[in-house]
Amino acid sequence: MRNSSLIPFRSGGGILMALIVAAMAFLACFALAGALGASKLAGAWTDGLSGAATVRIGAEEGAPEQQLDIVLDILKSTEGVIDAVPLTEDEVAALLEPWFGAAPELSDLPAPAIVAVTIDSANEPDTSIVQARLDGAATGAVYDDHGEWRGRAASAAHAVRSVALGALIVCALAIAAVVILSVRSGLSAQSANIATLRLAGAEDRYVAGLYQTRYFWLGLIGGIVGCILALGAMVSFDALSTVSRALPSLDLSGYWWFLLLGVVVFAVLVCVLAARITVLGTLRRGA
Amino acid sequence: MILFENVGFRYGRGPDVLQGLSFDVPDGAFTFITGASGAGKSSLLRLLYLDDLPSAGKISLFGRDISTLTRDEIAWFRRRIGVVFQDFRLLDHLTAAENVALPLRVAGAREVEYRDNVAEMLQWVGLGGQMHIRPPQLSGGEKQRVAIARAVVASPDIILADEPTGSVDPEMAERIMQLFMEMNRLGKTVVFATHDADLVKRSKKPTIDLKSGTSSGGVAA
Ligand SMILES: Nc1ncnc2c1ncn2[C@@H]1O[C@H](COP(=O)(O)OP(=O)(O)OP(=O)(O)O)[C@@H](O)[C@H]1O
Ligand SMILES: [Mg+2]
Repeated sequence: MRNSSLIPFRSGGGILMALIVAAMAFLACFALAGALGASKLAGAWTDGLSGAATVRIGAEEGAPEQQLDIVLDILKSTEGVIDAVPLTEDEVAALLEPWFGAAPELSDLPAPAIVAVTIDSANEPDTSIVQARLDGAATGAVYDDHGEWRGRAASAAHAVRSVALGALIVCALAIAAVVILSVRSGLSAQSANIATLRLAGAEDRYVAGLYQTRYFWLGLIGGIVGCILALGAMVSFDALSTVSRALPSLDLSGYWWFLLLGVVVFAVLVCVLAARITVLGTLRRGA
Repeated sequence: MILFENVGFRYGRGPDVLQGLSFDVPDGAFTFITGASGAGKSSLLRLLYLDDLPSAGKISLFGRDISTLTRDEIAWFRRRIGVVFQDFRLLDHLTAAENVALPLRVAGAREVEYRDNVAEMLQWVGLGGQMHIRPPQLSGGEKQRVAIARAVVASPDIILADEPTGSVDPEMAERIMQLFMEMNRLGKTVVFATHDADLVKRSKKPTIDLKSGTSSGGVAA
């Protein structure tokens, strides 16, 4: 025959606790998903943008052919520039098409000349120096290494990560708060039983251990349920997101499983620690 | 083993329950605590099982001033003290056997280690057939016997018994008395609170009488 628990926990309260943990784990999963999606997206943007720059030569300047040669000379003699290739008129037209529509008479319009520059990402040339050299030759060319875009992508990703981290902390605090309230009311409902355990020779940590075990299971069950629900929601979200490349695609194959596991472990840890600290604190104060 | 020096005790700001109490219970002694209802027998035992501190004077237990004990040390001391509470203090959600096993369990023993011992104890107090019954389904006398089995199961150095024969018939009272005598012969210190004057007279053991504030039989310090 298995030993009964030394503290008669009520199952109703346990189910409620597990439900709250499940809800918090669910939210934590989405906070993590948001943070990772943002990081991935920002990474994709900046990866695509670094290692490349463009030089635009205004259409209004005179003698475009001559200007282009000067610009190419300057670029090729710049340290950190691997290659500089002018785009053909067709390529420029393709770039402009989304804005102007297919224009068969493009050569009639004053189209800018664009030079695609391949730069060494490990040794990027200083934007202001390149620009100064271009200005020095009076070409009116504008050097753009997409630094502004990269910075914006990075700070957007950073902002999303901060919000996600904040959300994780809020979830942890919410779980801890609920555990503390529930353990406190449990301790006062069970005060006579706990006094008897103490009189029988139980140390405070033994009593705390009984609560830790209880809240370990509630945290584990709640965490797993919350993560499974979140996983289900994400799979359907993932199916939708393939429609639009703009949404971060949540690659569920690899490290995602570890992250879900991490949320469960985190929820369990918060439950157990909050229970332990509450029991030890309450018993010590009640002595 | 147990040393009271001018001990006074009261509940909160209430009247003094114990006053100027000095005595010494040597290792291995059997001592009665007598006194009328309300004289403070249970209160004195309460100090001995470390549930409260004296409001005056000093109590030493196992050579330590009890006011210096940490909470963990209190727990460890209590493992060396078996108590039969006047109101039994059984856990209603546990079976009789689980209640008896409680001191062993909280001290970290595993069920396989104590199962036989617990069964034997319950057999001895005549409850072999009620091992898996919970206290609410037991009679007063049966509960008292479960409480006695729990007090002695861990083989403590000191046994404190508060009216342990209060709810049983004379025959069982005699058996219980024999149990405590037997424990005492095995070297345990026994402190036995009762208002049964006959029992005290027959046993010819040292007595601390709370009503008169005197003690007899050479126990007084
Ligand atoms: N928890 C308590 N709080 C306040 N006063 C108490 C408490 N317990 C007991 N008392 C008081 O302390 C006095 C001594 O009580 P105690 O229980 O020690 O007497 P006793 O000798 O054990 O009596 P009995 O033979 O009836 O068990 C009584 O006047 C009682 O009212
Ligand atoms: Mg009493």
